[in-house]
Amino acid sequence: MHIRSPRDFWAGLVFVAFGAGFVALALQYRLGDLHRIGPGMFPVLVGTLLSGLGLIVAARALALEGPAIERVHVRPLVVSLAAIVLFALALQWLGLVAAIAVLVLVGAYASPEVRPLQVVALAVFLIVFAVAVFVWLLGLPLPLWPA
Amino acid sequence: METLGNLVFGLGVALSWQNILYCLIGCILGTVVGVLPGIGPVATVAMLLPFTFQLGPAPALIMLAGIYYGAQYGGSTTAILINIPGETSSVVTTIDGHQMARRGRAGPALGIAAIGSFAAGCIATLVIAYFAPLLAEVALKFSPAEYFSLMVFGLIAAVVLARGSLIKAIAMVCLGILLGLVGTDVNSGAVRFAFGQPELGDGIGFVAIAMAFFGIADVVINLERRDEQEVFTSRIGSVLPTWEDLRQSFWSIMRGTALGSVLGILPGGGALLASFAAYMVEKKVAKPPRTFGEGDIRGVAGPESANNAGAQTSFIPMLTLGIPSNPTMALMIGALTIQGIAPGPQVMTERPELFWGLIASMWVGNLMLLVLNLPMVGLWIKLLAVPYRLLFPAIFVFCCIGAYTVDGKIFDVYAIAVLSALAYLLLKLDCEPAPLILGFILGPLMEENLRRALMIAFGDVTVFVTRPLSAAFLIASVALLVVIALPSLRAKREEAMQE
Repeated sequence: MHIRSPRDFWAGLVFVAFGAGFVALALQYRLGDLHRIGPGMFPVLVGTLLSGLGLIVAARALALEGPAIERVHVRPLVVSLAAIVLFALALQWLGLVAAIAVLVLVGAYASPEVRPLQVVALAVFLIVFAVAVFVWLLGLPLPLWPA
Repeated sequence: METLGNLVFGLGVALSWQNILYCLIGCILGTVVGVLPGIGPVATVAMLLPFTFQLGPAPALIMLAGIYYGAQYGGSTTAILINIPGETSSVVTTIDGHQMARRGRAGPALGIAAIGSFAAGCIATLVIAYFAPLLAEVALKFSPAEYFSLMVFGLIAAVVLARGSLIKAIAMVCLGILLGLVGTDVNSGAVRFAFGQPELGDGIGFVAIAMAFFGIADVVINLERRDEQEVFTSRIGSVLPTWEDLRQSFWSIMRGTALGSVLGILPGGGALLASFAAYMVEKKVAKPPRTFGEGDIRGVAGPESANNAGAQTSFIPMLTLGIPSNPTMALMIGALTIQGIAPGPQVMTERPELFWGLIASMWVGNLMLLVLNLPMVGLWIKLLAVPYRLLFPAIFVFCCIGAYTVDGKIFDVYAIAVLSALAYLLLKLDCEPAPLILGFILGPLMEENLRRALMIAFGDVTVFVTRPLSAAFLIASVALLVVIALPSLRAKREEAMQE
């Protein structure tokens, strides 16, 4: 067995995994009958379809030539996600000002090209902008400081 | 006559100073963010959604619509000046538009794009005003079976137009539907796929999904690629096209508008298909000498008119059927839902001020864009100089604040992180995000209509093929799939997408 189209092969497997996962979970809910379909019926149908399509995609990837998967760069992905999680934590405990500061100061390092002074200036600018526009002007309920 | 009366009524709503202001803010914000490199209209609309939360439904939708065509316009500007299409619908604009810019005719290219878009927008507004009520009237008679089949057709038509593999696009629709089902089943009250998390009982926030797929994951991929960005340095000069330009472009604009208006109404149509089709038509029927590919102004005028007309008429299925034909319309439906309005044919009769106000505001918005863009384009292009390393942290900030403010739930911010990881994986595997978003919005509606249709028919599944309209939608869906699967046509489609 030779994988000719890696992107499609793995995409197919992801589809199969999600389809099977949703079906497995949905089978725990009542299926009902055709007259009164239960909460499990539609997800089981769609999940089965998804798995089936995933199998086709994966199988075709064994037969048809396709491009390789582009290299995964760890830094942008991990730093971005970490910055977002830190934003969530900071917003909950420290308020919006600290949360934006953390998000910008950490998030900027997702790019290999960082100029610390610029990043600090950007953070200050975005804090002022967000507080002025979202909190004062639009009146969105955002905690500014630690409760 | 009735249409005229309705339009006048709508103008009354759209021309209240408050709505003019929101329309203007929307157009400016949309243009600014749309011009910024690397942010397309979907991300723009998603990020600017929080600006509308505190408004009423009519001003909110008017502002979002302004953001949408503002962003489209901004996308054309970047397409012409730096050869980066803001979104797929301005891809064809890069062909002749950027060539014109390289030959020192950036000004007229921008000018004709604005004028063409304005003309197309005005005409498309009339098309909407005439067609939407007809369609809404038909749609009011739809039974759940018809609705279900229509959604199937809408989704199939939408994926046929997606780039890349058809099977993967349909799989993405399915995945979107399943993600859309997470949460409490309105009918049985069963909480599904929540893993015991009470926050997931309300379902996955559609803003979080949109941010993850069109905001964060897109940024991560952009950061990986770090393309060499072409910097626009030469002067734009006068943006006013010459009489000769206008004379040459007139029929291109008209053809583009007609094509765009028709294609925009089709489910899955909208701006993308319209602009591609218009470019192909121009290449065939424009009067010689044709210099397409080398800066022919008709190659800008036709597609730009078409994509604006298509963008506008794609509001028709959204407003009258509650069915989104593209991710932006999915966002609009989400925005309506946040405002507590269930999109569908009843909106027109129950909320006429919303419906006609929005339609009339499109005309106002197009006028504003023309006035804003032609004299101020010099200001917008300064934004092109903003380096991406300063731009993307701002995208993070807007996405995170946006997701949080929908419901004031920290959980939605964590959801962005998780969904972004999923989005990144799928993007790496060359899966288009648009079908997933459409499936996500339509999933719960499909389930509800399927359930109702079967209940009315006492569990008889043939109801979907014995009701003529429903059968017609299903046959059309199958026909589309068969047609697109034919090898000869598939080659054509790929060729068209390549161009």
